[in-house]
Amino acid sequence: MARLGKLEQPLRFVRSRRGRLLVLISVVGPGVITGVTDDDATGVTGYALAGSQFGYDLLWVLVVTSICLWPIMEMVARMGVVTGKGLSDLMRERFGVAPTLWAMLLLFIANAATTVAEFTGIAAAAQLLFPFAGDTARYVAVPIAAVLVWVLVLRGNFRIVERVLLVLSLVFVAYAISAFMAHPPWGQVIRQTFIPTFHANTGFILIFISVIGTTITPWMSFFQQSNVADKGLHPADLGYERADTAIGIFMTQIIAFFIIVACGATIFAHHVAVNPSDPSAFSKIALSLAPLAGQYATLLFALGLMNASLMAASVLPLTTTYAITEAFGLERGIDKSFREAPAFLTIYTTLIVLGAAIAMFPGAPLALITNLPNIVNGLLLPLLLPLLLLLANDRRILGRYANGLFTNVLSGAVFVFLTGVTVVFLASIFFPGLFGS
Amino acid sequence: MFKEPSRGKVLPLLGTSVIFLSDFLNAEVVDVKQHRVGRVQDLIVLMTDPFPKVTGVILKGTRVRSIDWSLVRSWDNKELSLKVEGSQLQPHQRMEAELWLSRQVLDKQIVDMDGRRVVRVNDLQLSQVDGNLLLVGVDIGARGLMRRVGLEGLGRRVAAMLGLDWPHKLISWEAVDPVKSDVSSVKLRIAHTKLAGMHPADIAEIVHELSPDDRSAVFAALDDEKAADTLEEIQETGMQASILERLDVERASDILEAMKPDEAADLLADMPKERAQLLLQKMEEDEAEDVEELLAYREDTAGGLMTTGYVAVLHTLTAAQAIDRLRELEPDAESVYYVYVIDEEEHLLGVLSLRDLIVAKPDTRIRDFMIEKVMSVPVDASIRDVGAVIAKYNLLAVPVVDQHNRIQGIVTVDDVMDRVLPPRVAARRRRIF
Repeated sequence: MARLGKLEQPLRFVRSRRGRLLVLISVVGPGVITGVTDDDATGVTGYALAGSQFGYDLLWVLVVTSICLWPIMEMVARMGVVTGKGLSDLMRERFGVAPTLWAMLLLFIANAATTVAEFTGIAAAAQLLFPFAGDTARYVAVPIAAVLVWVLVLRGNFRIVERVLLVLSLVFVAYAISAFMAHPPWGQVIRQTFIPTFHANTGFILIFISVIGTTITPWMSFFQQSNVADKGLHPADLGYERADTAIGIFMTQIIAFFIIVACGATIFAHHVAVNPSDPSAFSKIALSLAPLAGQYATLLFALGLMNASLMAASVLPLTTTYAITEAFGLERGIDKSFREAPAFLTIYTTLIVLGAAIAMFPGAPLALITNLPNIVNGLLLPLLLPLLLLLANDRRILGRYANGLFTNVLSGAVFVFLTGVTVVFLASIFFPGLFGS
Repeated sequence: MFKEPSRGKVLPLLGTSVIFLSDFLNAEVVDVKQHRVGRVQDLIVLMTDPFPKVTGVILKGTRVRSIDWSLVRSWDNKELSLKVEGSQLQPHQRMEAELWLSRQVLDKQIVDMDGRRVVRVNDLQLSQVDGNLLLVGVDIGARGLMRRVGLEGLGRRVAAMLGLDWPHKLISWEAVDPVKSDVSSVKLRIAHTKLAGMHPADIAEIVHELSPDDRSAVFAALDDEKAADTLEEIQETGMQASILERLDVERASDILEAMKPDEAADLLADMPKERAQLLLQKMEEDEAEDVEELLAYREDTAGGLMTTGYVAVLHTLTAAQAIDRLRELEPDAESVYYVYVIDEEEHLLGVLSLRDLIVAKPDTRIRDFMIEKVMSVPVDASIRDVGAVIAKYNLLAVPVVDQHNRIQGIVTVDDVMDRVLPPRVAARRRRIF
């Protein structure tokens, strides 16, 4: 074979073709994507209700949920990097069929409820955008969104859809600007972020739980781990992945922070009562963007809600379907035909159809439905965490990357906290008089 | 897409009784005096051919953790009776080549050879042959799943009510072979011999569905040529790199040598610098140089896309000498169609087809019958331009030259197609998770 001139330039290695920054973005990815997706329809609703009803009283919960999120998301990211397997994959191999079946059943229910909420978010956004159309707006928008999500994810390119929606999430910056323009008492805001306030009444406890439930969700763990595993990272990249996870958590919470402050400085400050079961709840919440957008506040709010809902509506059914098919060794893959992967397509389609159908139910209280899954997710977490801990401590699975003492102690504290919250919540349901009203 | 494997047929080895591992797990263990001594936690098999033999039982709730299978007198109705008293139990002697069925096989992934897909071990089928209990099959069906959660009877009644047949989905253990992997104790895989007989594109498709460690385990089982071909079939460079990163350096460099230089270069460019350097050092000098040259070009140019695997001969040769030279070079299939003619400084002078060379009189100088008007592209030409040239002139490959018209490599039509076609069409399989 002809031999040619020797190499003169220095070797242009190291992912040079993509450049250093792009490496960072491609590695610093799953955590950020998960983090931003976490601010979905239920998130926007939960935070907005918190700010509208209780001003800055719940800001401190964001600090608490950040501390709760860290060990959970770090564990799944680490398991994804080291094993290259999804969470349900590890559950099945470690715990066998029966526990996995229960876990998958609960995940399905929780995620179906959340999917309903995402489509409800779409319905609400459509009604805000086209107020003159009344209910017709959502009867048109929801089926279109359902078909769009189904087609884009299965027959388009999920990664591109995901990135486009991620960029569109910049609309959340509107809350930050609006918050500043509303001139909240910053001293009080900062103080309430770090000093807890608690009201022993059912309304407060419900919002308290739903803020926790919308921030720390079971589906995030599955989504994050699959996403990380899919990257095919080497354990040497663990440092990057931890940074990515931390940035993702920060992004979730900073968005939540500004939504609460914006709502607190406007709706709460002007004593506008927002009742989630009231059909006009969303248009009241939209007022939080009035300092920035004036008469276009509703439009801006609707676009943000629409984008957040679409993003989660494409992520949730897919994550759920992957988790279930992975756990039971069923044929999966978005490019398979129905004959090749019947279970995969059935579960995926069922989730979307179910979500869209319930969201279109006549007279459904939209804000209530979008807030409900937060409570379900909040209740599920104490069940998921022990499984995560068992996996992350298993040296047969993780070798020298198994949990250290710090993570275990922190996770233990998180478990105690979340269980405590659940107990308080259940108490408030079964003994309504317990905390006054 | 693939032929459906024959499912649901009962393995010929079986008699009337179908025994599953799940029947044993958690079963009560009683000693010779019918005293309860504990429960079954796991079964141990010795990896004998063709079917592994059950040699021991792992117990829970007993003083002795594991006992020999020879101490088992009988087995029936969720109860294991022993030949001895509970106080006389002796521990089972661990041996090499033993597997713990529940811990190491059950619930793990397995490649279904016939279906060419990755499935899960829902249950394991055992069979009594000549007084031995043998592991004969793997249950990958829904029925196995239902059995594990204690709902098989219900499922069977429902199926009977509907007048449906509810077959077991079993794979014979003969089609299964455990592969040792560095990280996890045992991975279940198909037999190496069968793996080696598969088309690289099929292996690549299976590899897509496995975890990184399992992928490397599959690659460790292939020979260099097959591994190289399979790696080329995997089109995501990130995944290619992660597979090589998990193999040892010697082996990884052997596989790189067997790959086409342009593919090897793409792969190395996606690896951390130190690791790529190390691999290059371990490669044979010739192959390493080819790859290093290619690494110096931008990926989206002719230089980055080209391969150095082309055939060039000196213009002073005769047709016969040129053919001899071809024999020496043993070119790859993709580069044999065009023979480029160069001078001593490797300036591109012309091109010959293989046909031209063969039909020419043996002693004719090749420069007298070569085609002088040869289409070429500069090293910094864009992929689009290269594609345009190839398409316009209906070429199988186009030579790439530097600014002094010296040949640097060729770009084949295949390489361009992979890049010009939209990714949806080019990618064999799209993965999200």
